[in-house]
Amino acid sequence: MEAAKRWRVSAGESEAWMDRAVHMAKDALENGEVPVGCLMVYNNEIVGKGRNEVNETKNATRHAEMVAIDQVLDWCQQHKKKPEEVFTHTVLYVTVEPCIMCAAALRMMKIPLVVYGCQNERFGGCGSVLNISSATLTDTGEPFQCIAGYRSEEAVEMLKTFYRQENPNAPKSKVRKKEFSK
Amino acid sequence: MEPNSKRRKTAEPDGASSWEVQPVLSEQESQGIRLMPVYAAPVLDKKETCRLVKEVSAVYPLSDYPHLKRIRACLSVGSPHPLEIILCLASLNGEQAGLRSLTELFPSGQVDLCGLGKPFLAQVPACAPLTRPQYEEAVLHWPVSFHENKRITQALKGCLFSPLEKAAMQNHMELAIHTAQQGARQGMEPVGAAVVDPATGRVLAVGHDCRGGSNPLLHAAMVCIDLVAHSHGGGAYSYKDHPACTFLHVDNNAQHPPLGDGLPYICTGYDMYLTREPCMMCAMALVHSRIQRVFYGTPSPHGALGTAHHIHSRRDLNHRYEVFRGILEDQCKRLARLSDHKESG
Repeated sequence: MEAAKRWRVSAGESEAWMDRAVHMAKDALENGEVPVGCLMVYNNEIVGKGRNEVNETKNATRHAEMVAIDQVLDWCQQHKKKPEEVFTHTVLYVTVEPCIMCAAALRMMKIPLVVYGCQNERFGGCGSVLNISSATLTDTGEPFQCIAGYRSEEAVEMLKTFYRQENPNAPKSKVRKKEFSK
Repeated sequence: MEPNSKRRKTAEPDGASSWEVQPVLSEQESQGIRLMPVYAAPVLDKKETCRLVKEVSAVYPLSDYPHLKRIRACLSVGSPHPLEIILCLASLNGEQAGLRSLTELFPSGQVDLCGLGKPFLAQVPACAPLTRPQYEEAVLHWPVSFHENKRITQALKGCLFSPLEKAAMQNHMELAIHTAQQGARQGMEPVGAAVVDPATGRVLAVGHDCRGGSNPLLHAAMVCIDLVAHSHGGGAYSYKDHPACTFLHVDNNAQHPPLGDGLPYICTGYDMYLTREPCMMCAMALVHSRIQRVFYGTPSPHGALGTAHHIHSRRDLNHRYEVFRGILEDQCKRLARLSDHKESG
């Protein structure tokens, strides 16, 4: 595919950006948020970055990717660029496979390529639970390409650390109890 | 898309309250039953039935198919034999099944074949029925057991909600429709949503689609989730350009126990009303938000709550919620048509 050819990134480049995403995930972990960090890179420049802000905003949809998308939209406004033009030339680097919600959002923004670390067994939208990234969803943007596995051990380790420590902000609902007993 | 024509009421003169609420069940509950081939045989001597069931079951236990009854009574008057028995599955490893003789099926002689007739192929339900419609379809093929979920049966019959509850549902959907219209006047997609706490009946947030503004991801459900976050002292977006998007300021004097600081899954226990079926992103956002129930007016061509996907009822996600459709369907359909015109025009 044309897009796949155009959006190949070098391994060295991926390593460098992923290194920074991992740092952001560490920051999330230290702030009691799910340790996911991400960067959006356009023309070799970071135009948006994010880490989970779910607890801070009391909004369960404030995943790192959603925060980063908002930053890119702001960047577009400041630089008087059309979002469509910027997003279709932006690569997302994220420590964990985007969830189903974020994968759908990335499609709608028409991001062509996502480089990620570890799989997201619980919610993954790029193959783990559903394959939103490559599905035929005519009203939900465009499919995107994924490159998985960069710094995945570290990403998994951070998630494990997070879920080991009881999340003081998680609801004490029946659903959660069931989930923990797994 | 073909409108669901079953149990459609004739429109009332004023067209106001002619709607029905229908449950959107899981994929497994909504689909027709799947059949698989088995070898069956007539029981020629009724007195041998008990022994035959015991001996055949010992050789072929069919333990993966506990819903199947071994014996079928043949109701046709002229039938030369009163009963038929399932012997075994007919296609293991997907190979095409041909007819087999009794001695081929029971080569080891563990079964005394006395009283059995010539084997034939029968199609039987491959899975246990989950709903009464599935059960009724299944027993046309072969008798099966059915552990009825009374609540689902009631829901399918349309008698899960009282007239009082339906009146409240209509009010909430009218609010969502009204907000959608206000948004549409600002050039937004005509989609509206409302979040209600069913424990108190209070409307916590009302919002419309804002994707026509600076952020294409601000669909009505995402807006309402964020408005609820605002009402709990959080939130990520400002709605000063969209005065129709409002939330209830939670005051500390309410009878409610104070909401723990930093409680993130703030839609736990809440209902959301949406004029049309949400997309994949919004449906999953509602999973993350731990919503309890979603009521929508009209389906969307690629909707994620019943049309293209069933995000609300997946066993592999950590939260499930109930979904009902059809609330003020005609009005919601008219709203949705507005957006079709806009997109094509």
